[in-house]
Amino acid sequence: MTPALAHHLIDDVGAMLLFTMILILGAGQLYRAIYAVAAQSVFIGIAGGVLATATGNSDLWVIAGLTIVIKAVALPWLMLRVIARVGIRREIEPVIPISLTLAIAAAIILLSFYLSASLGTVRQAITGNALPVGIALMLLGVLVMVSRRKAVTQMVGLFASENGIFFTAMAVSQGMPLIIEIGVILDVILGALVMGILMLRVRSSLDEDIADLEQLKG
Amino acid sequence: MIRHLPVLLPLVPVLTGLAMLALRDPRALAAVDVAGSLVILVLTLLLAGTVITSGPVAAGPFRADAVALPFLFLIGFLAVCAAIYTVGWMREELETGKIKLGTVRHYYALFHAFIATMLLTVLADNLGVLWIAMEGTTITSAVLVGLRGHRGSLEAAWKYIIVTTIGISFGLFGTVLVYAAAAHARGDMSGDAMSWAVIAGMSKKLDPGIVRIGFLFVLVGYGTKAGLAPVHMWLPDAHSQAPSPVSALLSGALIKCALFGIIRFHTIARGACGEAFSGRLLVLFGLVSVVVATPLIITQRDFKRLLGYHSVEHVGIVALGLGFGGTVGTFGALLHVINHGVTKALVFLVAGNAIGRYRTQDMHAIRGLLAIAPWTGTFLLMGAFSLAGTPPFSIFVSELYVLRAGLGGGHFVAVAVFLLMTVIIFGGLIHHAGRMAFGSPSASAKAGRDAGSTLGAMALLAAVMVLLGVFLPSGLERVLSRATEVILG
Repeated sequence: MTPALAHHLIDDVGAMLLFTMILILGAGQLYRAIYAVAAQSVFIGIAGGVLATATGNSDLWVIAGLTIVIKAVALPWLMLRVIARVGIRREIEPVIPISLTLAIAAAIILLSFYLSASLGTVRQAITGNALPVGIALMLLGVLVMVSRRKAVTQMVGLFASENGIFFTAMAVSQGMPLIIEIGVILDVILGALVMGILMLRVRSSLDEDIADLEQLKG
Repeated sequence: MIRHLPVLLPLVPVLTGLAMLALRDPRALAAVDVAGSLVILVLTLLLAGTVITSGPVAAGPFRADAVALPFLFLIGFLAVCAAIYTVGWMREELETGKIKLGTVRHYYALFHAFIATMLLTVLADNLGVLWIAMEGTTITSAVLVGLRGHRGSLEAAWKYIIVTTIGISFGLFGTVLVYAAAAHARGDMSGDAMSWAVIAGMSKKLDPGIVRIGFLFVLVGYGTKAGLAPVHMWLPDAHSQAPSPVSALLSGALIKCALFGIIRFHTIARGACGEAFSGRLLVLFGLVSVVVATPLIITQRDFKRLLGYHSVEHVGIVALGLGFGGTVGTFGALLHVINHGVTKALVFLVAGNAIGRYRTQDMHAIRGLLAIAPWTGTFLLMGAFSLAGTPPFSIFVSELYVLRAGLGGGHFVAVAVFLLMTVIIFGGLIHHAGRMAFGSPSASAKAGRDAGSTLGAMALLAAVMVLLGVFLPSGLERVLSRATEVILG
């Protein structure tokens, strides 16, 4: 694969990542947001495959495979299970209207491209537009977390944010060392498990959404 | 063996924690807890001796240098004090049913897992490993915060894990950017491109634009974990809801580990973007933290939230010291890390005893501590005066270093704001502590003697606090001077 083609493909994947991010932001139902973040993780896996072929770095295949198994299958499955287990209302309750969220999202995407356009030489070390797309995904994930009330949506935002980091990390020269990526994924799994357990505990003992607890103030 | 210490050291609490899972008897667990923590402290001192005499000790992705030493010592020392305190504290908790017999071994095992992740954070040379270990501290300590399972602790644990996980994912992004800069400058991708020692060594050749953005992400990310305002939201919740020995470690050691991460990138940023850039940002974050914490300290009613906000202020002071920079500021910041860690751990342990007696964290209900618990009351007053920055206690000394650095560097506005806030906080803190210490205790307060082990742990911390206030041991001074040289590059 020529560098130009890799560049091109990464930009295409980047566009799909941003598209799935918009789907997450615009989702009116919890399960849609979860499917969207699962789809986004599949695209991260595809990006890994493209970069593995382009650079000949076989570690990236491992990372791509792990991402798909864990972030596109296992974690979405876990979140859907939690929803089914606790029988929470399926609608997403936005703190600010979805249309306004989307407008802010557009501004964040523009800002990310503007920010990384100001970086000259080092962009050569990162394939295609992976840097602005990564920054945008990260910030948009935070936007999901602050603009939604439900604990599950906060997890979705967190995973989307991490997808952005993974995307940029893979596109840096030849990706981060395999052992580091595996460690990061391990942390993601453990963190998700602890979050899931906390959510279920609050559901079973207090019958509330953990993100709704607001007793600690001041 | 010394050569392998950076790997062996984190292994000790891992093995201790695993052994604890097999034990049931609370007494045996407490004994293993103290023994395991003592081993960590001894190994830490051994490592310190080697680093001082013959330079950094590296083993694989781990490396102990002078900068790591004050943090390692703090973790080891606070672990020992917390373990001694826990002996008596846990008996009380079991009697009152706050912790159930079945979860005791989980508590101890998690506590050591938490210590292991902190040691890994400080010993990591590879910046990726540093991040992984830091996220590990979040996961282990979030479970500890939520362990009691009541409403407040679950809420605090959730906020803590969500806010700091998203926070330090910013740190990971910053790490990736700095790594990209290093990979670009070297032109090849051999395995050690994420090593801090390698990157810091070539920091002058890194692209300043990307390092600038990288440092910003790291500062916001690890700053969240360190409790720098305005990204400190999780800190007062987690500190107030965690069991008291855990609070002592959260405030005394954990948030210092996050500062350690910032310090590592500060060195890189100084090389790549010049001295002013990262320093100015640190001064900014430091000042905001001091200012934001002040009104919340004054108006606080919850004892442990008060201490939490107070940690925000002191993390701000460390950031100010680093930001003012120079030898004096950096030295003062490192000294402040130790001084604040020791003092704050002491006061959190005092809070644990006081809360046990009055069964509330509401400071309006805690009165006359000196009358029913003379020693605990005395430690409360000593700790409060030290935290407020009065001589002859240790925090006064390190704050003086930070002030001198600020004046020397011409940061007059920042110094003026800092001084003003310190005076206001002094008033608020002494007011709060005085009301709790003096007066006549309410009838419902539990009288009787404090458990000996809790007093022993507090006496140990108070002794170090006073000692560091009146003189600086030459060994410590050498460690800090060497660390300052490393940080300033």
